[in-house]
Parts: sequence; structure tokens; C-alpha cells
Amino acid sequence: MTVYSFYIFDRHTECIYSRRWHARPTSSTAKNARPQSSSTITSNGESTAGGRRVLSKEDDAKLIFGTIFSLRNLAQRLGGEENNFISYRTNEYKLHYYETPTRIKFVMVTDTKMNNLRVALHQIWANLYVEYVVKNPLSPQEHAGGVGVANELFEEGLERFVSTVLAT
Amino acid sequence: MVVFALLIISKAGGLIYNREFNAGLAKLSSNDLLILAGTFHGVHAITRSLAPVATHPANRLSSAPPSSIAAPFPLRPTGLEVLESSHFRLTCFQTVTGTKFLLFTEPSQPNVDVVIKRIYELYADFVMKNPFYTIEMPVRCQKFDGALDGYIKGNVR
Repeated sequence: MTVYSFYIFDRHTECIYSRRWHARPTSSTAKNARPQSSSTITSNGESTAGGRRVLSKEDDAKLIFGTIFSLRNLAQRLGGEENNFISYRTNEYKLHYYETPTRIKFVMVTDTKMNNLRVALHQIWANLYVEYVVKNPLSPQEHAGGVGVANELFEEGLERFVSTVLAT
Repeated sequence: MVVFALLIISKAGGLIYNREFNAGLAKLSSNDLLILAGTFHGVHAITRSLAPVATHPANRLSSAPPSSIAAPFPLRPTGLEVLESSHFRLTCFQTVTGTKFLLFTEPSQPNVDVVIKRIYELYADFVMKNPFYTIEMPVRCQKFDGALDGYIKGNVR
């Protein structure tokens, strides 16, 4: 049972928190030297590994949001309004999804053998996000750019939750 | 145990066959179904490129001993295989040539991979071997319809 990464998206489609538990491949370190302004994909500037492009953290979050947004709409259109998209699996990883009534989206990427994490994501929302981010008087109401989410208590709690509950 | 519907998406992302076996999914117009097939085609491609870092080929090669690299068939990323939602489960089977079979079943349906393999066999027998079928075009083969009905209604339910 391995947890690869965890993302929170707010209702404005912005990634307000992301966390990875595994080091990035070494080939991608060269990417930091590249200027950040180039949004077009240059054939020689990209770092590749095993024939596949290594995505930056921001690109990854955007692609994940696009995927869950499309799949959520697909599930709702086919199964009706109250049909919830729960998870999907490929032969490499499994992505778990939980959406709160306020449309904050929690995403966790794990290995394929992991059971359904909907309840775990709900617990992260109720016990960590609400306690340490929503109830924090210093945190703004909207977390544009992720301000206020990545505080010490929340990160510590998340770390503890993942290492105790999900690692078994 | 219910199989709701079958969609076949060509390798270009177009919907070439759709069939509803049991009611349960929302009724969609053929236009909406085409949009859905195209969206799924794109999402499938994205999910294939979204490999988590730990399973990335670069990491796997560096951690594995050199002898194990020479596996005859390296693990290729497949993209989305199973999608779970509270009302249905979507199983996607992609053939070697890129055609995708999408089967919508109840979340608790067992052995969906066997069913989908059998549907692929029926497709090979009654669509690909049909001399009047143009490849990549919508499937209109009565024998295929009949064989699908016979298999789904006879064995799965």
C-alpha cells in the first residue's frame, strides 16, 4: 500500500494544496534551470525518461484537475445528478476522489491495490482541513494560490494520517 | 447483476457503436454520446501520461537490478481501465490497435474482464470478418447485434 500524492482543488478550479511522497526522477532536476515563462513545449528542452515526458508539479496538478473534472461530469451525465465519481484505476496507479458539498475536491493517487479511500478523504476533510484550515482565524476565506492551507498543523496531521492509517 | 450498455470507440476517438442492454443509465442523445466518447478518448490519453513518480520508468530502471530489465514484455501504461462511481462501473478495454470497448455495469458485477474479452471476440468474428464493413466506420451488423444480445442476456444476467 503506497500513497503517491495528494491534491486539494478549490471551487475555482485552482490547486490549493499538493503533496508528493516520492522523490522525483533525477532526470527532471535539469528542468529547474529552464526559464519558467515558456509555456510551449519545446522538443529539446523537455526532460524525458523512458520515452515519456516528466511533468512538472504544476502541469501534473492541471492534468489531474482536467481529468477529474471530465470524469465527474461524465459520471453525472450518465448516472444522474446524485451519482458520485469515486475512483479510477489504470495498470500503474489508482486515483481516489472526494468532493465536499462546497465543491472542494480531494484527490489521492495511490498504488492499484489500495481499497476505496473515499472515507479516508472524508476524514482528511473533516478532521484536518476543517479543523486546521477552515477554523484557523488567520487563514483567508478563499485560498488563492494556496495561502493558508499549508500550515504546520495541517501538514503534520496529514503526514501522520497517511503514515499510520494508509500505510498499513 | 446488470450490464447497462456497451460503447465502442475507434482509435481516432469517434463513437462507432453503442448499445443499451438494460435501462439504468440516463438517456442521452446521439450527439451527447458522441461528445462523451470524444471526451473519454482524451481523458484516457491523459490518464496514460499521468504516471506517479514511483512507477515511472526512470525510477524503476534505477532501482531494479540489471538482470530484471530484460523482461520480454515491459509493462506499458494502459490509461484508465476501471472507473467506479456510486451508480455504475465503467470498464475500458483497449485493443492493441487502439479500439476501446467501454462496458457499463453495476458496481458489484463480477468478472467484467471475461465479459469484455468475449465481446471483443464477437466483434472480431462478426464485425471485422464482415466483408461489407468499412474499418473505422459505425458498426451496423445484424449478426453482431444478435450475438451480443444472446451472450449478454443468456450468460451475464
